[in-house]
Amino acid sequence: MLEWIRFGTFTALIAAALILETMAVFGVNRFKYSLNRIHASAIGDTLAVMCVSFAAILYTGFSFLAVKFAFVILLVWLTSPMSGHLISLLVFRTDNNLDKEVKLWKN
Amino acid sequence: MKKRNETLLKWLNEGSETLDQEMMESLEGDYLAGDEKQETAVTKKDESSRFHMIIRSAYIRISTAFSVVLCIALIAILMYTVMDMPYFGNADTLVESEVSEFYIEHTLEHTGAVNVISGIILNFRGFDTLGEAHVLFIAVCSVMILLHIHPTEHGAHLMAYEYDDASEEPHDDDILLTGVRVLFPLIVMFGIYIILNGNLSPGGGFSGGAVIGAGLILYLSVYGYIRTRRFFTMRTFRILTTIALISYTCSKTFHFVTGANDIKAMIGIGTPGTIFSGGLLLPLNIFVGLVVACTMYALFTMFRKGDF
Repeated sequence: MLEWIRFGTFTALIAAALILETMAVFGVNRFKYSLNRIHASAIGDTLAVMCVSFAAILYTGFSFLAVKFAFVILLVWLTSPMSGHLISLLVFRTDNNLDKEVKLWKN
Repeated sequence: MKKRNETLLKWLNEGSETLDQEMMESLEGDYLAGDEKQETAVTKKDESSRFHMIIRSAYIRISTAFSVVLCIALIAILMYTVMDMPYFGNADTLVESEVSEFYIEHTLEHTGAVNVISGIILNFRGFDTLGEAHVLFIAVCSVMILLHIHPTEHGAHLMAYEYDDASEEPHDDDILLTGVRVLFPLIVMFGIYIILNGNLSPGGGFSGGAVIGAGLILYLSVYGYIRTRRFFTMRTFRILTTIALISYTCSKTFHFVTGANDIKAMIGIGTPGTIFSGGLLLPLNIFVGLVVACTMYALFTMFRKGDF
């Protein structure tokens, strides 16, 4: 029974990762504005990677390899938002047509 | 001219904030005055230097012709060597011979390295790797000859402008600063792990050094020169690369001399699978890693500003 629960969770995680990654790929290639594309790619970079890594941890069992996978999640979750933040900052500072793309808050 | 250099050097050594506006203006005036002086000197010397000019142009022509001849000779030798090589797809080529099988079967027993590739590149082909490390060193040397700005004479004025944007660093971005503060030790630790584990798992000096170099570049581009100069300067670069290359050469020579003359090896193979196994593989990996890390960092700094 426990094996089946593990298998079910593992499959569900992989399926979720596949769906998220497909969304990310479509978003990166189809969205018109750069900030939308950053959002799409960030979904693929963080949530999908986390799902796949958790699935891998479940699949291998809790061993030294699982710790390595946990480190992969940690590193990706540290670096991907950082790069997304920097790229969006670059867009914000250099894009001349930003008014047409997003609604800016005036304070 | 001299006064300008003195002020600049003082400012550089103090490592303080930017040049203030007043100082810059005085420097500017000083620089222009120096230029004018130089120009008048050239017009006065014009006639006497004609002879030198002739010799100089002749020297340039001869050296150019000589380098062209040298290059053509080198190309001819290489082409001649290529003609001697076996045809592609031939059954008797070196790739098909027993060398690769020998490596796979006997690397563990000869070198004590679990990672076969590490055993090959650092033991069977140790001098080849030595050459590669020197190629990296020579590449950095030639880049430095072209791009390094010395803090004297013309360089000082260049540096004043180049260093001015060091005041923009560290960038005013808390997310970036905090992220890098967490990431930098992890990256360096991972690089050290790759280097130290080179004889046991995939990796080794080159890949570990590249990881450490990338970490240093990340730190530099986020925190700026004033922070990195506390632990990595020209002096550090020189000392580290020289020590690493010399130690590599010495240990490899020792290895080959003792091996070729049937002298009993003082450094044994050890138990395969432990970190201190494989004879000299661990120190050799460390030396190669040092050279690669320093090279990557030096290339980046040279191309970015021309100084450490």
